[in-house]
Amino acid sequence: MGLQDNIREKGVLGAVAAQADDVFTRLTAGIDVGEFRRMLQGEPPGRPNPRLKPHSEGFLLHIKPTYYHESVTRFTHTFRLGLLSTYLFIVETITGILLMIWYAPSPERAYTDMILLLTNIPFGQFLRDMHRLGAEAMVAIVTLHMVRCYLTGSYKPPRQFTWFTGVLLLVMTLFLSFSGYLLPWDQLAFWAVTIGTSMAEAVPPAVVGETVNLLARGAPDIGANGLLRFYLLHVLFLPLLLILFFFVHYYKVVHFGISLPADEEEVGEDTANRVPADKRVYYLPDVLVDETSFMTVINTLLILLTVFFFQAPLEHIANPQSTPLHTVAPWYFYWLQGMLKIADKFIAGVLMPGVLLVLLMAIPYLDYNPSRRGKDRKVAIVAGIVAGAVMIILSWMGTPEYAVQGAPAVEIVQDVMPEEGSGLSREIGYKHLPLGIWRTDEEYDVHDHEFNELLHEFNDVVDFYRRADPDFNAPIGILTISQDQPSLKRLNWEITWFDAQGEAGNYEKTFWLHEDSIYWEQYGWKHLFLGYVSDGWKSLSGALVGE
Amino acid sequence: MHRLYTRSPIAKIVWGILSSLIGIIALLMVLVSENPRMEAQTINWQGRSIENGATLFDNNCSRCHGPSGQGLVGLGPALNSYYFFTPTGRMKDIGWVGSLEDYVLLTIAAGRPSKAGSQWAEVMPTWGGNYGGPMRGDQVEDVAAYVMNWRGSALAQTPEEDPFRPFEDVLQSTEFQNTAFILMSEEEQAIAIEEYKALNTRSPQEIWANEACLGCHNLSLAQADDPGQNGPNMADLFERAGSRVEGLTAEEYVYQSIVEPAAFTVATYENVGQMPQTYAEKLSEDELQALVAWLLDPDREE
Repeated sequence: MGLQDNIREKGVLGAVAAQADDVFTRLTAGIDVGEFRRMLQGEPPGRPNPRLKPHSEGFLLHIKPTYYHESVTRFTHTFRLGLLSTYLFIVETITGILLMIWYAPSPERAYTDMILLLTNIPFGQFLRDMHRLGAEAMVAIVTLHMVRCYLTGSYKPPRQFTWFTGVLLLVMTLFLSFSGYLLPWDQLAFWAVTIGTSMAEAVPPAVVGETVNLLARGAPDIGANGLLRFYLLHVLFLPLLLILFFFVHYYKVVHFGISLPADEEEVGEDTANRVPADKRVYYLPDVLVDETSFMTVINTLLILLTVFFFQAPLEHIANPQSTPLHTVAPWYFYWLQGMLKIADKFIAGVLMPGVLLVLLMAIPYLDYNPSRRGKDRKVAIVAGIVAGAVMIILSWMGTPEYAVQGAPAVEIVQDVMPEEGSGLSREIGYKHLPLGIWRTDEEYDVHDHEFNELLHEFNDVVDFYRRADPDFNAPIGILTISQDQPSLKRLNWEITWFDAQGEAGNYEKTFWLHEDSIYWEQYGWKHLFLGYVSDGWKSLSGALVGE
Repeated sequence: MHRLYTRSPIAKIVWGILSSLIGIIALLMVLVSENPRMEAQTINWQGRSIENGATLFDNNCSRCHGPSGQGLVGLGPALNSYYFFTPTGRMKDIGWVGSLEDYVLLTIAAGRPSKAGSQWAEVMPTWGGNYGGPMRGDQVEDVAAYVMNWRGSALAQTPEEDPFRPFEDVLQSTEFQNTAFILMSEEEQAIAIEEYKALNTRSPQEIWANEACLGCHNLSLAQADDPGQNGPNMADLFERAGSRVEGLTAEEYVYQSIVEPAAFTVATYENVGQMPQTYAEKLSEDELQALVAWLLDPDREE
């Protein structure tokens, strides 16, 4: 009907209202204002259900099911872990694209770009912290999603292939996270990735392993080519691959429906797609409201964690000539590092992960037990728990706690003032390090509480190694703090001891600390943030009142 | 278990709105904090750069420049020095027009591969990777940041404390390459220079050779008619000087032309680069007089 006819029939106001309603209906792909109001008021839909229209007319909703079984919408059934993984992928994409604006993948620029991002870009640190936290959270959430599906037996027929694509998505998530690891081009990145790629070298025969390694690194050692390759993997290849498999995975989820809690159907049956009318929860409006509010809460949680509690680490610039004392993989590969400590590179780095991967993918085809009920799956659940426990133990073995003790004197200095990262000395900072000579065999009456804590820590760790190592007797730790330059203190750590034969040993390590340097730990309360807020607020309110 | 899960859509919407507000407040806090945070981060990374530079200096540079930059006799000059840091010191003496930081950066990166005019036992090695040295660009910058961080202590030095030892590679006489000289007033400096010059009078021949006069002026009588590309031939000056400018004797004319080269430019040389303006400062009165007499002497010894 033309506008003029409309006005003639309904008057100007009526015509405008009708036009507005029309626009609203188009925007919502089929829900008019009246229906929207009824949704908000919680009234049931009419018959036929007018709220199904956006699923068939709109692009965004055509992939979502129109209704779910009431039982699978309970939070404790899925914990919304799949949705959460998707959400985190979107967060990573958005923050990642923004970070790409200030990043060039070359060894000459990458690290400088990181510092520029932190020093000169408003919200630069926020973006970086959020991207890093999101990546770690995504690995954790995708893994938990898999654990949930394993424990509820959701991989069983007909969902075998859904599980298979899920395992692929987990692998891609791990690789995405790991490929991003190299990009800051700091010591942490460089050595973690050097170790990671060196595992590929163990693939037999040697020529294949070397070729794979060469392809990944772009040269015998990681350099400009390797960085470019990891960058392209991280920002292009892996995300595209992940998006493809995400849609395959999600299509399968929608196609078969989310499996019901096992107790609600007969063993061997799958009734997820035969939902009785009284059990249906429609996507519009109930599930949409639920998912949107859930994601909003999670989003706020992620922002709060980023703003107050998480800082992406940035160590010294990558230096191929110097390996830091305790080089560690990212935490989600600790288990791999743990295996590498007890088995050789081929078995631990190639064979075991390969077998594990094939085994994971094959679970639905190996597990012939038709029941998804916990009491019928004792073997599977116990096996799962044992596997989880083994992973945790291996992960613990992957940390420097296990089997990589260096010489006691080296470890002592590493404890109080590590080569990379913070350590107590840098944490208390320049102003709490009084000039002088401080020995562990003497008592000092120090009024500075923070420095006192450092002296105690120094004493304790020297004492710990004295008791732990028979080759480390009568040790004395001497810390000499001197003023090297204006605003620059020199910390010389000296450890002397006698070995079992009574021969004297000596170890010295020197570090410098500048007054303005801020060192931080990756996790924990960002204690400087509120100070920045109050400083910023002072100058802002000063500018507002026109001072 | 069912209790964990809220069914009411209104409660969910309220949760959503409340958490959005909290998120927005957190982001506003970040927005407000950004300027102070970026300032703190800027000086943080400058501090870290100095720390890195300290390690590099300790490993590579302290062998010649001393562990605290005080220099070592015969090996390397002092860097933690008033003379080195003040703009009227070393920078002025070598005629460097850029910043001291640029000078330090360039010297570390490129080194001093030549020993010409140097009194040091070894050359300053080339450190920058771009010039074939062992350090990456960021390491050169770190070392420069560390050296520049001596500014505060260097500028607080008294002349007695300044460990600087003079260079032999600059025009400024080694006598005046020190903090005590820099700290004098201009009049005092002029007197000191005059005194020094009076004690160290050079012959006209020495001046002619060492002050680079012969680079532009020819003294060969055989080529007296050849005007020379950069400056007039001076072989027959005794014939021309008296008649060049009305009211000036030959001596006055030549003297004036040396201390103030722009006074009477020969027409054909107006577009050529000017004669240096510094001879009035560099030459003592006695030297000037001797030089003028020598130039006007038809039978001068070369």
